[in-house]
Amino acid sequence: MVCKQCQELLSEYIDGALELGEQVNLERHLGDCEPCRAVRDDLLQIVHFSQQLPLQSPSTPLWPRIQSGVEELKPGFWSWPLRWLASLRTLNFNLSVPQIIAGAAALAIVVSIGVMVSRRDSVPVASPTGATAVATDDVTLLSKAEMQQLEKQISRLSETVERRKDSWDPALRTAFERNLLYIDQSLVECRHQLKDNPTDDVSQELMLTAYREKVRLLAGFEKFSQ
Amino acid sequence: MAYITNTLTMPVTVERIQPASDTELARAAAAGDSAAFERLYEQHHRRVYSLCLRMLGHGSQAEDLTQEVFLQVYKKIGSFRGDSAFTTWLHRLTVNQVLMHLRRRGVKLEHTSEEGDFTNVVETPLQSTRRISMVDKLALEKAVSQLPPGYRTVFVLHDVEGYEHEEISNLLDVSIGTSKSQLHKARMRLRELLTKR
Repeated sequence: MVCKQCQELLSEYIDGALELGEQVNLERHLGDCEPCRAVRDDLLQIVHFSQQLPLQSPSTPLWPRIQSGVEELKPGFWSWPLRWLASLRTLNFNLSVPQIIAGAAALAIVVSIGVMVSRRDSVPVASPTGATAVATDDVTLLSKAEMQQLEKQISRLSETVERRKDSWDPALRTAFERNLLYIDQSLVECRHQLKDNPTDDVSQELMLTAYREKVRLLAGFEKFSQ
Repeated sequence: MAYITNTLTMPVTVERIQPASDTELARAAAAGDSAAFERLYEQHHRRVYSLCLRMLGHGSQAEDLTQEVFLQVYKKIGSFRGDSAFTTWLHRLTVNQVLMHLRRRGVKLEHTSEEGDFTNVVETPLQSTRRISMVDKLALEKAVSQLPPGYRTVFVLHDVEGYEHEEISNLLDVSIGTSKSQLHKARMRLRELLTKR
């Protein structure tokens, strides 16, 4: 064994991780080599004293900073929207066209949810005169035919996009996948809701919206790498 | 309550106030007790700061990260179930925060060639014939801060904090061999730095 080989194995030797044969060879070399023994002793000291390093204290008191951070975290009536507005000011918007399309799609779903919920809240209580039935008819129900048509469209678009996706810029692909995931999550959520309550008109409408947004997203990205 | 006997052999009742355990403090903090959270900070902030400092090698960054760690503790303390010691939970949270910080900064492990970076063996013994004194511990601390970030991360996790290579490989998403190699390079670089002083 030469010095270089010996010194490359010294850390593992110190940690007791060498196989017996290597250890015997290394110890034989150490027995004959003063410089390598010196390196071993130095490394032993470094390892030994590393385990005994004293605790350090911050140079400035941190508690007031943490306390004020905690206060900000505590929920207040206006705290969330104000923080959100403040964060908007510091954002650096540098979005590509597909990212804007995808963002708009996601926003449309969020707005739809809000509208649906507010409409559901404003639906009058069922009365024997059939007022509820009239209100439900106002909401566009998810027809089987329409859903099947959308599913076909999605399947066709997905195939094309999947084929082209590999040639996209990684940032574009990430933006697409993130937004697709967002829409798919909405769809899964709607399916769960409809499983529990198949006549839930809000979930039906939401599902229809999500399907349409998925078509829009896929169609928007389909154009890339044509 | 415990009974002790004074010199006149009269029984005197003394109430011993047991310090609240970390788990009790954590539960109280999770329930919104600000004083309990402050006590957790008082008891552990030096440990958190030291770990941040050694892994980052920079005082003000370590202070910022210590602040961030305790804000994370505040947010997540409800998820501490007491299955492990609070110190273990806090330690893991701190390491994760530091690693996230390093990833955000794009810090990667140091490149190591097959030949290694230490082709020239430093044959001068560091201080083999004498024990390292407190001053030398300070020198060691300084030398650790001068290590390249990748070496420093593995060295601090393994030699200072006592992590195994397998844990380090999982945390850093590298092979065990890479972790071992980085550790060896770190120790050898430290030796060089300490020899130069």
